[in-house]
Amino acid sequence: MKKRLLIVDDDPRFRALMRQVLDDASGFEVVGEAHHGRAALDAARELEPDVVLLDVNLPDTTGFELAPQLAAEGRGPAIVLTSSRGDESYGRLAADAGASAFVSKYDLTPAAIMGALA
Amino acid sequence: MTAPLAQRADSAVAHVIATTADEESLYSGVLAAVGDALGCQFGAVWEAEGDELACVETWCAPGFPGDDFASVTRSYRFGPGDGLPGRVWASGEAAWVVDVADDRNFPRAEPATAAGLTTALCFPLGSARGVVGVIEIYSAEPRIPDSDLLETMGAVGVQIGQALVRRRSDRSIRESEERKRAILQAALDCVITIDHHGHVVEWGGAAEETFGYSAEEVVGREMAELIVPPSLRERHRKGFGVRVEHDRGSILGHRVEITGMRADGSEFPVELAITRINLPGPPMFTGYLRDITERKRAEAELRASRARIVEAADDERRRIERDLHDGAQQRLVHVALMLRLARTRLEADPRAGAEAVDEILVELAAATAELRELARGIHPAVLSDGGLAPALTALAERSQPRAKVVSVPHGRLPARVESTAYFVVAEALTNATRYAQASSATVSAVVDDGRLVVEVCDDGGGGADGNGSGLRGLADRAAAMDGKLEVVSGEGEGTMVRVSLPCA
Repeated sequence: MKKRLLIVDDDPRFRALMRQVLDDASGFEVVGEAHHGRAALDAARELEPDVVLLDVNLPDTTGFELAPQLAAEGRGPAIVLTSSRGDESYGRLAADAGASAFVSKYDLTPAAIMGALA
Repeated sequence: MTAPLAQRADSAVAHVIATTADEESLYSGVLAAVGDALGCQFGAVWEAEGDELACVETWCAPGFPGDDFASVTRSYRFGPGDGLPGRVWASGEAAWVVDVADDRNFPRAEPATAAGLTTALCFPLGSARGVVGVIEIYSAEPRIPDSDLLETMGAVGVQIGQALVRRRSDRSIRESEERKRAILQAALDCVITIDHHGHVVEWGGAAEETFGYSAEEVVGREMAELIVPPSLRERHRKGFGVRVEHDRGSILGHRVEITGMRADGSEFPVELAITRINLPGPPMFTGYLRDITERKRAEAELRASRARIVEAADDERRRIERDLHDGAQQRLVHVALMLRLARTRLEADPRAGAEAVDEILVELAAATAELRELARGIHPAVLSDGGLAPALTALAERSQPRAKVVSVPHGRLPARVESTAYFVVAEALTNATRYAQASSATVSAVVDDGRLVVEVCDDGGGGADGNGSGLRGLADRAAAMDGKLEVVSGEGEGTMVRVSLPCA
């Protein structure tokens, strides 16, 4: 059964490309997109995704702040934080925020997301 | 020469001493008085100068043709024991030569005889400091030695010598006072002397200008009530009392910074050094005070400027990181995702794969352009490679509206001068477009007298704030290089930004 995934990122081009990459791969179904923190919480509550792919830099909040709130919504989705910024230290920050993993946007593949959830 | 004559000489000299103030009048007065009283025709005063006697004054009786002998006398110098003056100087005793022509130790015998002079009397000018000179008196007629007269003239010599020393001392004090007055008048510091009650005795130097009181207004008044702010006055009085009573005090001999008060009640920072005047009697103190308002302001401005430079550098790093994230990094993330898509689609649909690769190339070109723009913002390559002239020309061509470069310096300038000038022009042109809605601008850069002067003028709405963060940061940068940035921007009159930077 495919994992239902919500993309949260303020860059529409990224969201569109990521949706295509995930749609092409087996294992994920992109059920929704959100471009800021408030929309992400609404979508998580409404769509009850299994996974949220969450950008660290959002217009109204940060992924680190938003992750615990998202994890409390719906059925408690797994959170995968991502950013084009950041280094290995972001892994610890992500763990502290209750996320499953941090994956750099340059390394973002369906396999990497799946690996982070394992 | 007889005893009554000696008494006449004595009283005439006493009169001269009582009625003359300076040394020159004293000499001419006593020579005339003694010569007259003794019925003599010529006289001379000799002063001790080091180890010699020099003639400092001559006198001739009215009608006596003694000018030649006076000239000869003035040209002579005698050591101790030489000639009549030297003998009297060495012995400290008055001496009598009945006929100068017969004296074996009288070098001026010939001119004296030629002048018609015969007998000479010489007596020392005695004082507490020893013999300070001698007086010679000559008579045309031969005179026989008179011991009473010699004794009296010895006493007269002491009177004259003491009067001379007193006048020299008075003159020395007057000169010293005059020097002190001149020094005080030119002093940049306030020089204030107070007595042991804390009352002003002297008010000199820059005191009047600094505190706004004239010396007439303050002498005799308590200094504390004049220049110490009310809130600090009691503490000052207590501290001053300790200094007077115990001959000590924490600020004696040190430079301290305190608060002073002007006549209008305004307070200002003062640097103060106090010395205690060591004279017999109650102590006095002299304070040297300097208004350091300007120095304090400059120090504060320097601190603020340094802080702004550090802050600006941090802001600039953050801006670069943000621009990288929002621009090139984002595009490279897109490229990575597009490459993954292309790769999965290439096999199934080569045409779609080729289209995807074309899209990737467009995205990559955009990323490259953004990186180039960002790099130029950090430091334009044309500035490093070509110098200010091509960099300003390129900047003017890119600006909207296009700016006209009217002059640029030939040759290279120090890198920090070129980059500061470049960024001033860049900021001024950005402001002209963004805030002033200018329709045209001119840029000129000239090297004049070792300084690069750059001006950017626009025809926009004016009213620019020179303290806005962009220009403020550039002003700090210019100031750090001993340069100066000015902004003239009257409302509705366009804006002129000028920076002047030393080229060395």
